[in-house]
Amino acid sequence: MSNLNQLDIQSLLAGYEKKQFTVSEVAESCLKIIGEKNAKLNALLEISSEKVMKRAKELDGQGSSSGKLKLYGVPIAIKDNFLVKGWQCTAGSKILEGYRSPYTATSVKRLEEAGALIIGKANCDEFAMGSSNENSAYGPCRNPWDLERVPGGSSGGSAAAVAASMCPAALGTDTGGSIRQPASLCGLVGVKPSYGRVSRYGIVSYASSLDQVGPLSQTVWDSARVLEVMSGFDPHDATTSKMAVPDFTQSLRETSLSQVTLGIAPAWLEGVDSDVKKAFDASIDALKKSGAKIIEVDLPRTRYSLSVYYLIAPSEASSNLARFDGVHYGFRAKDFTDSETLYRLSRGQGFGKEVKLRIMLGTYALSAGYYDAFYLKATQVRRLIQQDFEDAHKKCDAVLVPTSPSTAFKLGEKSDDPLKMYLSDIFTLPVNLAGLPGISVPCGLDQQGLPIGLQMIGRPFDEAKLLQIAKSHEQIHGVLKRP
Amino acid sequence: MLTKEEVLKIARLARLELTDDEVSFYQNRLGRVLDYMTELKGIETREGTGVRHVPLDSEKFRNDEVVTFPDKEALLQNAPALEEGGFLLPAIMETE
Amino acid sequence: MSDLREKYEAVIGLEVHAQLLTKSKMFCACANQYGAEINTNICPVCTGQPGALPTVNQRAVELGIRAAIALDCQIRSESIFARKNYFYPDLPKGYQISQYEKPYCEHGKITVRLKSGEEKTFGITRIHFEEDAGKNVHASHGTVVNLNRAGVPLIEIVSEPDMRNSHEAGQYLRALHSILRYGDICDGNMEQGNFRCDANISVRKRGETKFGTKVELKNINSFRFVEKAIDYEIDRQIDMVEKNEPIRQQTRTWNSAKNITELMREKESAHDYRYFPEPDLSPLVISSAWLEDIKKVMPEMPVQVRERFQKEYGLSDYDAGVLTASKDLALYYQEAVKVSNNSKASANWVANELLGRLNAAGKEIDQSPVKSDQLGDLIIRIDKSEISGKIAKTVFEEMFATGRNPGDIIKEKGLVQISDTGAIEAAIDKVIAANPTQVADYKAGKVKLLAFFVGQVMKETKGQANPGMVNELVKKKLD
Repeated sequence: MSNLNQLDIQSLLAGYEKKQFTVSEVAESCLKIIGEKNAKLNALLEISSEKVMKRAKELDGQGSSSGKLKLYGVPIAIKDNFLVKGWQCTAGSKILEGYRSPYTATSVKRLEEAGALIIGKANCDEFAMGSSNENSAYGPCRNPWDLERVPGGSSGGSAAAVAASMCPAALGTDTGGSIRQPASLCGLVGVKPSYGRVSRYGIVSYASSLDQVGPLSQTVWDSARVLEVMSGFDPHDATTSKMAVPDFTQSLRETSLSQVTLGIAPAWLEGVDSDVKKAFDASIDALKKSGAKIIEVDLPRTRYSLSVYYLIAPSEASSNLARFDGVHYGFRAKDFTDSETLYRLSRGQGFGKEVKLRIMLGTYALSAGYYDAFYLKATQVRRLIQQDFEDAHKKCDAVLVPTSPSTAFKLGEKSDDPLKMYLSDIFTLPVNLAGLPGISVPCGLDQQGLPIGLQMIGRPFDEAKLLQIAKSHEQIHGVLKRP
Repeated sequence: MLTKEEVLKIARLARLELTDDEVSFYQNRLGRVLDYMTELKGIETREGTGVRHVPLDSEKFRNDEVVTFPDKEALLQNAPALEEGGFLLPAIMETE
Repeated sequence: MSDLREKYEAVIGLEVHAQLLTKSKMFCACANQYGAEINTNICPVCTGQPGALPTVNQRAVELGIRAAIALDCQIRSESIFARKNYFYPDLPKGYQISQYEKPYCEHGKITVRLKSGEEKTFGITRIHFEEDAGKNVHASHGTVVNLNRAGVPLIEIVSEPDMRNSHEAGQYLRALHSILRYGDICDGNMEQGNFRCDANISVRKRGETKFGTKVELKNINSFRFVEKAIDYEIDRQIDMVEKNEPIRQQTRTWNSAKNITELMREKESAHDYRYFPEPDLSPLVISSAWLEDIKKVMPEMPVQVRERFQKEYGLSDYDAGVLTASKDLALYYQEAVKVSNNSKASANWVANELLGRLNAAGKEIDQSPVKSDQLGDLIIRIDKSEISGKIAKTVFEEMFATGRNPGDIIKEKGLVQISDTGAIEAAIDKVIAANPTQVADYKAGKVKLLAFFVGQVMKETKGQANPGMVNELVKKKLD
């Protein structure tokens, strides 16, 4: 069988079940396409056919007993801000160049226990700070739909790897849209679960109160499968919930929209590209025709999300990134004279432009005399944003907005204006601020043939419902073919 | 708008060595972003109403039992410099 | 100087860092163990690896709550962990997890007994949880960092600036140390740094209400040094004020070889620690049910032991107070009583002889050369009339000097009391024969001379004769 790399998870599992191919054959197929495409795309930062084939043979050796494993033989790319023992973890930063992970992130461990095959470490914006993957110290990643364009960020490499059929799924992290926005720009499904649903243990912290781990894949079922394997309480992460994890793929069997109410917030949609708006409206119409009730909701305080996010996230980041100091691991500058200059030079030279900007922004917001007006105020307004969603979710099962106001933009197009770039995440930021689950699904192509994403925002810990709605939408639209 | 001195003070607190070009670059960028954020000033909020992001049913405690981390070498192997089993850096005179 | 001391008043506040007696660290499962080989009690969390997250040790919180209960603090049902951000090599995360705006308890107090016999109560501002830092060690090519101690659980106990002299500060620390030891909260080992004290000291002219500029004394590792350092510092500051020199805000340390305080560093334009709530942890919730559970299993506190000693052993309030000043002392006393079966005599020996001797030698009870069972043994021998009380003091001297058992010393030196009538009578006869004049005088009515004869007989028997019997037999012979 050829083109095994193009199969989605569901098809792979079925094929293994019927013994149509082996894990090694799938792995070889994926490695082949990686070999062909990665030099151009720069989607993966670490590739190791040795490690991959060794693991593939192990899985093949497990034979029939492994049939029950939920991700048996499924190649998955892992964003390079996850620690996976034996692999590098750079978080896209020079300051972590050469760092070898001493342990494995809980989410990845659970995938491996379910039989997954780690295929490589995916490029990303440095410390997950960015919306275009242009902030990677290891060069930008390109969009498989158009090599002149960005794949989105910060999980740009993860999205590009899946869109280029290097693997059927990838893990990303999402602090303000970093899974959903690249999923949207690369024509994929991407899920940001509720805060506390998936363990953060072993992902390089950017903003602890906002970071979540999630999947990117071609289909809703695939994302549901990866998510159900990773989710649930982790004793290593005191912010994970003990709430039971539903069998998400099982719940996808129920896709009737007749009992579903969806909220739209027209006031929120100003400034959206016309193609995006058109595709969004068309999707709403289709959902309505399929039986969903559509209502209007008001989310007045979400318009402060940008300010709130860019105070809270950098504040936490300024503290989270203090550990990168050239003493215990990572990059150490050469020309230091004492411990003080060792710190300042290592950090000054080791961090990139955007990271330093955010560290300084956060340092300022937390410093004496500014804490109340900036950091504290932001946490209070954050509560108001959460309140807006609580009110909306009393009336509807999910709020629908475009994932991104535009489709994939060109490299360099937004990189000289921080606010312009930050606005790429205007629809995704509030979801992290409110701790809610959000999913981006493809909903069409613009006039240039670039994918457009639709975002659905659910109630806390109601990923099951959200996935059902996404599945219904996918049934209406059909699965978007990869380029 | 931030002054150059303010930028340098922040950079010092954050232990970031900046070139002169970087100082003016960040002075400009930080200024722009902070100006934008003044929009929050007018919003009515009450004290003690910050968001609580951690789920209420999260685990609050770990039992007091020793679990030995199996791969201590892996924790040391990433160090830029080691001596006598410790992380090495230039001599420090006093303690915090 | 003493005239000047009258003119000024010192204001002293103390900050104590006490390591908690847990098996594992505050935020990870590594062993909380002193003296392990460099960088062996480490894991991703306490070495600050990327992606590692803290989890709170329940036992550490329980021990902290014990301290709060023992120190009469108001406990917050919901307190907040906060990050204190600063760069230092022994702090691998670049921040210390601590508590700031909302510590788990506040507004406590502690009552101490001063040498005047007076009792005084000092306020405790707050206690909060935090993690210890690692250690920077000097090595041949610079400093090396050992992270075994990084993340060890601590409580920081901050007093009100209520102390006015070194004795009050010393007694505060001893009382606090004693409570933590009684509660099995902290082992109190000051040499290992498990109980560390910083003192804030300022002086002002008597009658003034404004505080002077304070100087911080850091890391003083014994009670005596704290007292000495405070005394030195008070005099130094008064001297400066008298000379119209400004007192600078400084951190100083005690040089025990030179008996002076020395400058560690000038306080830089105040640290900016950028505290904010630790986003990796939820608020610390202490329910009333949990509090009750902890109260139920609280070890006895000094006040309770003191009351028990009065009831159980019939001691005076004063003696009970002396004997419960530290947990080790109370345990020593209890063990001595168990052996001797004589609580009053044991109290006298411990409180007077032993403590006096220890004080003179500058030793603590746990360093006593005479063990509790040995002291009990000595008391038994007195009670059995094997030796006299006077001989016992000689034996005790020997025990204190050599650590040997009383039985061995008595045997070797032939100190067993003579209670044999024949032997005593023989000695009396000898004395009578040698002192005919005194015998005549006695018989003529000078009865006071009885004491002379008894003394002579005791001398003749090298003090070993049973004094009661000598008295009786001399009388009988002469009358």
